[in-house]
Amino acid sequence: MFTLFYGLYKYLFKKDEFFVLILGLDNAGKTTYLEAAKTKFTRGYKGLNPSKITTTVGQNVGGITYAGIKLSFWDLGGQEELQPLWEKYYAECHAVIYMVDSADRERMDESKAAFDKMISSENMTGVPLLVLANKQDIPECMGVREVKPIFNQSADLIGRRDCMVMPVSALTGAGVDEGIDWLVECIKRNSDVRPPPNHDDT
Amino acid sequence: MWRSKEGKECLRLLEVVADLLKFVNPRALLSYFRSLIGSREMRILILGLDGAGKTTILYRLQVGEVVTTIPTIGFNVEQVTYKNLRFQVWDLGGQTSIRPYWRCYYSNTDAIIYVVDSADRDRIGISKQELVSMLEEEELKSAILVVLANKQDMEGAMTVAEVHSALGLDALKTRTFQIFKTSAIKGEGLDQSMDWLANALASRK
Repeated sequence: MFTLFYGLYKYLFKKDEFFVLILGLDNAGKTTYLEAAKTKFTRGYKGLNPSKITTTVGQNVGGITYAGIKLSFWDLGGQEELQPLWEKYYAECHAVIYMVDSADRERMDESKAAFDKMISSENMTGVPLLVLANKQDIPECMGVREVKPIFNQSADLIGRRDCMVMPVSALTGAGVDEGIDWLVECIKRNSDVRPPPNHDDT
Repeated sequence: MWRSKEGKECLRLLEVVADLLKFVNPRALLSYFRSLIGSREMRILILGLDGAGKTTILYRLQVGEVVTTIPTIGFNVEQVTYKNLRFQVWDLGGQTSIRPYWRCYYSNTDAIIYVVDSADRDRIGISKQELVSMLEEEELKSAILVVLANKQDMEGAMTVAEVHSALGLDALKTRTFQIFKTSAIKGEGLDQSMDWLANALASRK
């Protein structure tokens, strides 16, 4: 009897948890984006002042509850020497947000190369990819129209995965909602292929 | 009752108090009470194997100098003030025989500073085991973790990425942590790590 009620309780109140990796080169704005997302989707949460955010060497975690599921973010350090650590998270993630600094034209190739390397990993097969062209608040930055063709070059690597390029400004928070909306949609659709952890015992 | 002598005095006293209250700025009063609640000292533990440099780091933070240390048997505790935040910092001895006593200090800990001797590749595995078993403790579930890859002044010191994988930090899926390269002897990296820690503690819900 207890098991029955417990099962019912779990069914009603337990939300599936999905993991989202936030990757990208250093200084792309990953931590700022995480803070912006947390601020938007958590009532009463006051984000870290962007001026106080320093280079991440390690990880920041954060969670939001949205549209009936729980999203847990892993924001990892993006420096070159830390990039090899990314792949340890691939097998367990359900989606990737790839941040691009649209104002840094010089490092665009480097960013593209890191992106290609990431999506080539076999642990990443079938994972939805959201590429965010960040720093749209800077006037002379590259728009989506410029960023999109660059990442479209990897179309054969992306294959049949969901992939989307969207503009965002982590600093002002513009575009954060749209991105999360799209991502949640994809994660739900994809949950047959990549089910939430411990799905069987719920 | 109010007609009696005591009653009149009592009334007069009340009037005086009421007059005084008119001059008190409500905002100042509010911030005073808020400071009463918010002024709890943050409790921080410095842990790590023996010889990692925990005591040197503690006194670097407190007095800004390198002090001569001997292996800690027991603990050192000091109050450290950093950018208006007060920390109560506990430095526990790291020798094998006294590591089991770390757990006596876990309750109400806000942050852990885990110090690693980056030049000691032989014992990084032991350091990993200690870290892993420590983080499994329920009492430390919400504690913020700062890993200091210390002794970066030594030749052949491990890089941040090496320390990250050697400690198996990728297994920590639910915890915010940050690694810093430090040299307690030279005083490098400590300010950045305290900056980050102060921000992380302040923004925590």
